[in-house]
Amino acid sequence: MSSKKNKAEHLKNDVAAANAGRGKPIIRIEHLTKSFEKRGFGKRKRRSGDAEQPDDAHIHAVQDVSLSLYKGDVMVIIGPSGSGKSTLLRSINMLETPTSGHIWFDNVDLTDKATKIDQYRQRMGMVFQHFNLFPHKTILQNLTLAPIKLQKRPEAEVRAEAMELLARVGLADRANAYPSQLSGGQKQRIAIVRSLAMHPDLILFDEPTSALDPEMVGEVLDLMKDLARSGMTMAVVTHEMGFAREVGNRIIFMESGRILAEGTPEQFYKNPDNPRLKEFLSKVL
Amino acid sequence: MQAFFEDLANDFYTNLIAADRWKLLLQGLGVTMEITILALILGLALGFLTAIVRSTHDKTGKLIILDAIARLYTTVIRGTPTMVQLLIVNFVIFASISVSKVLVAVICFGFNSGAYICEIVRSGIMSVDEGQFEAGRSLGFSYAGTMVHIILPQAFKNIVPALGNEFITLLKETSISGYIAIMELTKAGDIIRSRTFNAFFPLITVALVYLAIVILFQQLWKRLERRLRKNEQ
Repeated sequence: MSSKKNKAEHLKNDVAAANAGRGKPIIRIEHLTKSFEKRGFGKRKRRSGDAEQPDDAHIHAVQDVSLSLYKGDVMVIIGPSGSGKSTLLRSINMLETPTSGHIWFDNVDLTDKATKIDQYRQRMGMVFQHFNLFPHKTILQNLTLAPIKLQKRPEAEVRAEAMELLARVGLADRANAYPSQLSGGQKQRIAIVRSLAMHPDLILFDEPTSALDPEMVGEVLDLMKDLARSGMTMAVVTHEMGFAREVGNRIIFMESGRILAEGTPEQFYKNPDNPRLKEFLSKVL
Repeated sequence: MQAFFEDLANDFYTNLIAADRWKLLLQGLGVTMEITILALILGLALGFLTAIVRSTHDKTGKLIILDAIARLYTTVIRGTPTMVQLLIVNFVIFASISVSKVLVAVICFGFNSGAYICEIVRSGIMSVDEGQFEAGRSLGFSYAGTMVHIILPQAFKNIVPALGNEFITLLKETSISGYIAIMELTKAGDIIRSRTFNAFFPLITVALVYLAIVILFQQLWKRLERRLRKNEQ
């Protein structure tokens, strides 16, 4: 029937083959769909309407996406804006509530209403486009707040570790500064180590360099490369094709809420077989 | 000219010194402050509580019944004159229950102020960027934990000027307590006026006392605002 379906099957087999022998995935996404009611201008609504409503009343941000994330993966999600990449990423830690489908994390279905999502979020870091540091806390407090309050680890230990993390990103001397006193690049580095302070199993990056001045993109990407090399599992939504190529071990191309292509960087950039991907890459590379 | 000053000195004496009338004003001031501060505490508690209920409902769609109650509360309180509320609390609600008049006033002004503080706090919570909320939740904080550790401290900083304003309003509003026979500052001045048949001294004195308290309070509040702002430079 449709070649789309065939391709999807084909893709699934490919991925399954590629992932054979990699053990159990950290994150498994099954048939995830997220639709918003059309209301206002692309404003995110918390709940979507019932499925009976005609389709044109909804925007399908993510449509029937399935994928797995394995330990040590650096999965880079690319695609034109509005393709649903951020919504997909934000669904992984349930900042977006999926309309249907499942997200498995450590054998727990996060989409299950009975799941206590907070304890799983503690194990998934998230880095935002606009940093979202806490402006009323010092840099050091930004790092130590969650480990002390949520993981109940001893304050001295948390603080010592936070100082080490700050030293690692070269900002130990700013420990007592407030976020407003830092540059964008510094803020984003702090945001990354803030998530590291929780010892997460994986970190989600939602366009981490998109709000930065061009000269500050490098320092943030360097830190992310460093993290990838240390074996951190990462899912990254980005427009940085260089990063995707150099650091990612898997690249996913999304458009209109669907995964159109998935593969290793070599497969992707050397011979992209999807016409939309070709077009996209020709514009951004 | 000299006669004028003599008259002035005489009036000053009869209205403030004679029969220890200044003590009456001082007592009245004490009652005014008592009502204001207790009502403010009650108002802050009610205001924060209702504001949290209302913004939780706005954000999550939960707490439907509590939200409806909170909305009814702010609508009714803000939609009727404080004076009428005071009379209702005194002559209807506490008509057959004997409690101290000051308590009646504290309850009335507390509930009244709470409705305004609710809106102030709500605007403060709404002024905090949505990303702050997401950052808190993504770290694993619960809704309540995010509110307490991340949203409310920032909201509070944003509403400090408006809260100062509310204190000033409340302080002056308590001057209607005389209508339920509470001897607060305004009533004290009025009693002196009725005794001495001189309106100028007692009323101007009362006005100056209010003014002095407000100015003093403004200075203190300015210092607090400055200290809070220093936190983030």
